[in-house]
Amino acid sequence: MIIRFYATLRPLVGGRSVDLSDPADTIKGILEQLASEYEGLHDQLFDDDGTVRRFVAIMVDGRDIRHIDGLQSRVNPESELDIFPPVAGG
Amino acid sequence: MALGGFANRVARINLTDRSVSYEGINEDDARKYIGARGLGVKYLLDNGPETGAMSPDNMLALVNGPMTGSEVTMSGRLAFVTKSPLTGTVTDSHMGGWSAARLRWAGFDALLITGKADSPVYLEVENGEVAIKDASEIWGMGIHDTVKHFGSDSGNKTNTSVMSIGQAGENGVLFASFLNEDDRAAGRGGTGAVAGMKNLKCVVVHGTRDGRWRPEQGEERQKFRAAQGAHLKLIMESPVTAPSSVNDDGSLKDGSGALSAFGTNVLMNAVNSIGGLGTKNSQTTQTTPEAADAVSGETMRSDFLTAEPTCHACPVACKKEVEITEGVHAGLKMESFEYEPAWSLGANCGNDDPAVIAKVIDQCNDYGMDAIEIGNAISMYMEASERGYVDTPLEWGDGAGMVRVAEEMAMGSTAIGRTLGEGPARAAAAWGHPEISMTVKGQAVPAYDPRGVKGEGLGYATSNRGACHLRGYTPASELLGIPVKTDPLDWDGKGALLKIFQDLHAFSDSLDLCKFSAFAVGAPEYAALYESVVGVPMTEEDVMVAGERIYNLERYYNNQIGYGGDEDSLPDRFLNEPATGPAEGHVCELDQMKEQYYDARGWDNGVVGESKLRELEIIS
Repeated sequence: MIIRFYATLRPLVGGRSVDLSDPADTIKGILEQLASEYEGLHDQLFDDDGTVRRFVAIMVDGRDIRHIDGLQSRVNPESELDIFPPVAGG
Repeated sequence: MALGGFANRVARINLTDRSVSYEGINEDDARKYIGARGLGVKYLLDNGPETGAMSPDNMLALVNGPMTGSEVTMSGRLAFVTKSPLTGTVTDSHMGGWSAARLRWAGFDALLITGKADSPVYLEVENGEVAIKDASEIWGMGIHDTVKHFGSDSGNKTNTSVMSIGQAGENGVLFASFLNEDDRAAGRGGTGAVAGMKNLKCVVVHGTRDGRWRPEQGEERQKFRAAQGAHLKLIMESPVTAPSSVNDDGSLKDGSGALSAFGTNVLMNAVNSIGGLGTKNSQTTQTTPEAADAVSGETMRSDFLTAEPTCHACPVACKKEVEITEGVHAGLKMESFEYEPAWSLGANCGNDDPAVIAKVIDQCNDYGMDAIEIGNAISMYMEASERGYVDTPLEWGDGAGMVRVAEEMAMGSTAIGRTLGEGPARAAAAWGHPEISMTVKGQAVPAYDPRGVKGEGLGYATSNRGACHLRGYTPASELLGIPVKTDPLDWDGKGALLKIFQDLHAFSDSLDLCKFSAFAVGAPEYAALYESVVGVPMTEEDVMVAGERIYNLERYYNNQIGYGGDEDSLPDRFLNEPATGPAEGHVCELDQMKEQYYDARGWDNGVVGESKLRELEIIS
């Protein structure tokens, strides 16, 4: 599964995307897999209580998980994931 | 004058008889309409809504806010307010940089320009005086050369700023703009066309910090420092606006805010990912991830960045200067590779070449044209070509053709250029196909497709100055989650949400603080700043009421010249042609949202009634 990263997250994973060979079937599981592999990523995505940090946007096939089932949102091997730190402009 | 912050000096300049007179700020108006945008619209209303946009009687008002040029963070902006030749509505367009601050330091709150000179002139402003001078030597110059002519090309290292039009304004391009410091635009609405009609080339301002407003020592200064300190702290600590900095190896340090690090164009990938990026004249709503990333803020930083300049009193420094190093545009150094033109000239034109985008933006900055409007004009022309509506076609992604057509528009050198120079709405109508013009009230849409970001669709439709993303920036909620996360694909509740954003922005545009402050602060901080500078008690609720008053004042102006609910519309494409990508199948439910919005506003089909005008003390 290809997971695309943006902005300040790219340096943490060393590029624009990560190819996860054996992805979990929920966002929570995938984020745990990624956090265990890439130092510093966990702190950028999660607050101390384990919730996703405010303004971090995690998209499954273009839908923000805040409008699906949050960390329990399910994914399949064909899903496209995009992960953004807080981004804004105008 | 009892109000703090203001210079209490306004110049009325009549270019017809070349007279200048001076007056103070009307205190009652300043209390009600705050400054900049709000006060500017009041000047325009008093000048008469029936005045033709391209009549010498139209007023071009340059208006600062009460804290412009002060120590307040992000206080480096002013409003150009006029009747728009593009939309026929009242319009205001704001610029950052240093000109606003210098205008205040030179002793002015506002310059109110009417009439038409019988030969080219410019205004020179210094020490509380305005002089009308001969501009025959600089008429015909681009903005970059005009700035150099006055020796202000080194930006904030001099005491001089130049706000100028280019050839587009001189030639009557209806979306001509003003720029200062080479690259900072008051882009929208055709303020440059109004200046060109008046034979006004530029406004040259000399001013030093000695002229800035500062609170008295003692309790007043303590109150100001507390308000400004709280405001600055939130901006410095926001994950969006926190200033970026780099390690020795050039990598970004932890804690760098994305807006500061990558500029506004950090939005490119985000909006594309949700299917909100109009592509090929909004025929679809998503381009490929590769095409979006090729012109994104991330790519600009990694491959093209040369400098990160800022505006007066701003630690965010979202401006990114880039240099093109390869190809026909190698050697081009430019600023303002912002999200909006990166979209309008990128995905919207089927173009993923950043060098072409940089070149056309720089043309806009030199000829003085709105980069949102020109991108939509070109994309509409490309769709017209694809459908066989024009004899001289331009294909999607034809970069050389885009550069050529941009010059033709500015100079009016070809029939196509002259037609497109009237904006995509008039051009599409002239070709008999108004349905391919993505415009509202004659002004082109920005970079959020109303089918994928529905609150913005309502925002475009109900904007008092034609399609605009900055009247009520609902993407703060729909993408980011400020103040709360709302679903960009859900229309319900967007009416009330939009009203809040419109009213809040009307207030901050009148202070005039950069809109990006709203990613970190809100009404409580604006109220505290206003009270500490102006010296008038202000609550959070007062902020929202003042913003509502200003929004209704604009609507009142437009209502008087025939704009109502029918003009609060969107192109049929957004209403009837379903989106693609993640927003697949969605259209914009405008009618449902408008009903909720008018309820929230207390308007009758887009018309503000007498009782609302009295309630808001717009009329007595």
